Amino acid sequence: MNEKRNLSRREFLKYAGGAVAAAGTITWAGKILLPEAASAQALTPHLYLAGTDGWMYLPPTPQIIRPSSVAGGAPLHPDSAAPDPFTTYIFGFRNITGMSETQKLGQKFKAQHNAPLFWVNQYDEVFNDVDFRVQITNLGLELRPDLFDAHTLHWHGFRNVIPFFDGEPSGSVGIPTGRNFNYIYRPREPGTYMFHCHVEDVEHVQMGMTGLVFVRPLQDGTSVGGFTKFMYNDADTTTPGSTGFDREFAMFLSEVWTDSHWADAHVQLPEWSDYKADFAMLNGRVYPDTLLPNSPINAANSTSWLDVETDANGDLMTNPGLEHLQYNPHSSLVNCNAGERVALRFANLGFKEQAMTLAGIQMRVVGRDATHMRGRDGTDTSYETDTINIGPGESFDVVFTAPSFSGGSGSSGRGYDTYMLYNRNYVGSNNLAPGGFGGQATEVHVYPGTTVPAQQYPNDLGI
Amino acid sequence: MHANTHKRTGSGFALLVALALVSATAVSVNSPAVDAQTVPRVGIVCTEDAGTTTPSFTLTAKTGYIALPDATTMFMWGYSNGSDGFQHPGPVLCVNEGDTVTVVLQNTLSEAVSIMFPGQENVLANGTPAQPQFSGTTLTSLTNTAAANGGSVTYSFVASNPGTYLYESGTNPEKQVRMGLFGALIVRPTMGSDFAYNRPEDQFNPDEEFMVLLSEIDPYQHQAAQVGANFNMNNYQARYWLINGRGFPDSIADNGASWLPTQPYGALAQVAEHDPDNPTDFPGMARYLNVGTDDYPFHPHGNNGLVIGRDGYPLAGPGPGNEDLSFEKFAINIGPGQTWDVIFKWYDAEHYDPVTNTVPVTVPSMANQSIGVFYSGSPYLGTQEALPSGTPTLNQCGEYYIISHNHALYQIVSWGVNMTGPITYMRIDPPTGCSQ
Repeated sequence: MNEKRNLSRREFLKYAGGAVAAAGTITWAGKILLPEAASAQALTPHLYLAGTDGWMYLPPTPQIIRPSSVAGGAPLHPDSAAPDPFTTYIFGFRNITGMSETQKLGQKFKAQHNAPLFWVNQYDEVFNDVDFRVQITNLGLELRPDLFDAHTLHWHGFRNVIPFFDGEPSGSVGIPTGRNFNYIYRPREPGTYMFHCHVEDVEHVQMGMTGLVFVRPLQDGTSVGGFTKFMYNDADTTTPGSTGFDREFAMFLSEVWTDSHWADAHVQLPEWSDYKADFAMLNGRVYPDTLLPNSPINAANSTSWLDVETDANGDLMTNPGLEHLQYNPHSSLVNCNAGERVALRFANLGFKEQAMTLAGIQMRVVGRDATHMRGRDGTDTSYETDTINIGPGESFDVVFTAPSFSGGSGSSGRGYDTYMLYNRNYVGSNNLAPGGFGGQATEVHVYPGTTVPAQQYPNDLGI
Repeated sequence: MHANTHKRTGSGFALLVALALVSATAVSVNSPAVDAQTVPRVGIVCTEDAGTTTPSFTLTAKTGYIALPDATTMFMWGYSNGSDGFQHPGPVLCVNEGDTVTVVLQNTLSEAVSIMFPGQENVLANGTPAQPQFSGTTLTSLTNTAAANGGSVTYSFVASNPGTYLYESGTNPEKQVRMGLFGALIVRPTMGSDFAYNRPEDQFNPDEEFMVLLSEIDPYQHQAAQVGANFNMNNYQARYWLINGRGFPDSIADNGASWLPTQPYGALAQVAEHDPDNPTDFPGMARYLNVGTDDYPFHPHGNNGLVIGRDGYPLAGPGPGNEDLSFEKFAINIGPGQTWDVIFKWYDAEHYDPVTNTVPVTVPSMANQSIGVFYSGSPYLGTQEALPSGTPTLNQCGEYYIISHNHALYQIVSWGVNMTGPITYMRIDPPTGCSQ
């Protein structure tokens, strides 16, 4: 009936010739490969990421069965091919900074979602700061060696970058399996961004090669309005210190459409226009898993990325009892003390617009798309709201002040007050199970006094 | 009065990659909808009635077909210019602020159709105020109609406010707008056609003015219309998404490309590198319009756009100083029926140069890269390197290509063919131009 569905996109590119080849990239398999050039990068990268495939965990019940979908009646979720306790085939990035060659290669088929959180300082003209160098390697796809896809790193929203460092593979180059490429960034604009692989990006983004990156303003470390950490350079505005904060939390939104994940694991092709978000995730997990702690973090190493501890083989460490979250390492729990200013950095690389609501606390939007809320004449365009409508590819920077503690043992009886941060676009908000609450949701826990120690790194729960 | 298609702008660099894409011989353009002699290859193709403050247009509602990236054709309805052949989308009507605009709608379709002008006030239909139409108490049209099979209606209004607007059917719109009865209306401000609004800070480079009109198609709805069958909107599901009535890679072909005879509008944004320190090097201008059913988050790589207006209103506050409420975005998340006016400047922030300021990395051997079809072989603007023999390339003179696309990524498909849909590129030519 529909011939298109039987024609893979790669075959399509092959048959359709140059006009459509524009949509993809061509790998040259020359007879002489020059191994010295593959890794002969003159400068040591600050951050080294690897692209590969793997498995991650989403709540296994209920099963998702769609008779009309690619699985033809078999359960799409949990994937029958997934090794216990995992459920879902993914592509993803791993942080392999400092690993030995053996450890590095050992991370093939051990992707995580979302990708490692990283951050950099705004480029400093005066002190001639160094560039931020991110090296990417492509470890290949263990389960799909037939997909000899390249990978790239696209820093989504980075301004005035040349195509060579933009990671869009048709206008520049991609990284074939086994090769390396260094991306150089001189971040001149603070704020919250995101990054993803841009090769076959309909597929590679949905499959999980997505993460959040932010740029700290030059103003950090100075004292403005009682703060020393900020989202933007606000000292010379009408509201100095208005973007300052005591704690910060990245809130990365992504989605899983189980048809596409199952299809990639079983050498099938989904029909993308059938897309729906079966699972809507926050930092790679669904509620209530979002409340569980980060995987063990090496705080000393977490100066420019959230450094998840690894074992002797380089594999991700987990918390005891949370082995199923080995490849969803990021927590979304917000712990803070009453009266503290908390910064939330939202970025959405799902395919749907979401509505993140903080019930009971007003948020102030101080930035969008890595831009301080200011008109060209300096007019303050920041605003208060309880809901962030955030479309695919958008970012929002918000701050809120934690309310006073309700007293006693807290309204929950747990020693803290709880405020829900949740997606009011309720599709997927119950993890497809009847009743209950799930999806893109987490909690803000407000403690009395100075219960929660100072944050050592972004998304540090403190306690 | 005859409305002629007017060459709005001239580009210094004539040759487009789009030509090389499909046919080296496709030099002459001959579209029934667009006059080949006067059409700029890129940028907005204005249909104007020049030299009068009372411009008049005739739009004819008729059927036709468009080509889609999966090698299918789609039955459409559309507004065409006068007695010209079918085109999709409708002509881009360009008028000046204060003009009294007349639009005569001629209907060749088998059901009544109409035109709404959202954002225009005091629209007249046949000389009296245009009104919603009722049959008894049942609303049958949002405005006065042209009867089926040869009817006509004449709308007129004073274009009081500069900006970017849609025009679209107000009759059975869930069918007729989806079938293609829509187009763009641009009202140029008194300050000049190189201003978006009557604010000096909204000046742009008229050689770099572009349209980004986003739409979608459910093929079953079109099939039903073609055979005269009913279509249950509960079953509506878009399978194609388009930019300026085309999917990628057709989207980057020239305006009036001969192989797209009914889809005259390209979406390639060909620009020069800007000088951020030169205040008279004005930015480019992109007019976004969404005629679909979803918010479309359009993502231009490589620079942010400054949103200076929406729906024909400059982003200004109510205070005495008309506070500037413009905002930068890297995702232009435009809602159904909205228009956004966005100015942008691209420049290489680091001024990389192959001699004086090289990229601080070792460029991997060609054998260790997967080479994109638009890549020059070099990181530097205006530099081309030899590519391995057999590598297809569309790069002409070391120009840059930076993508711009809908970031609801399941929408950059054409019913099974990925990486098509609403995708286009910004092409940045070297300062010395492209000799080819």
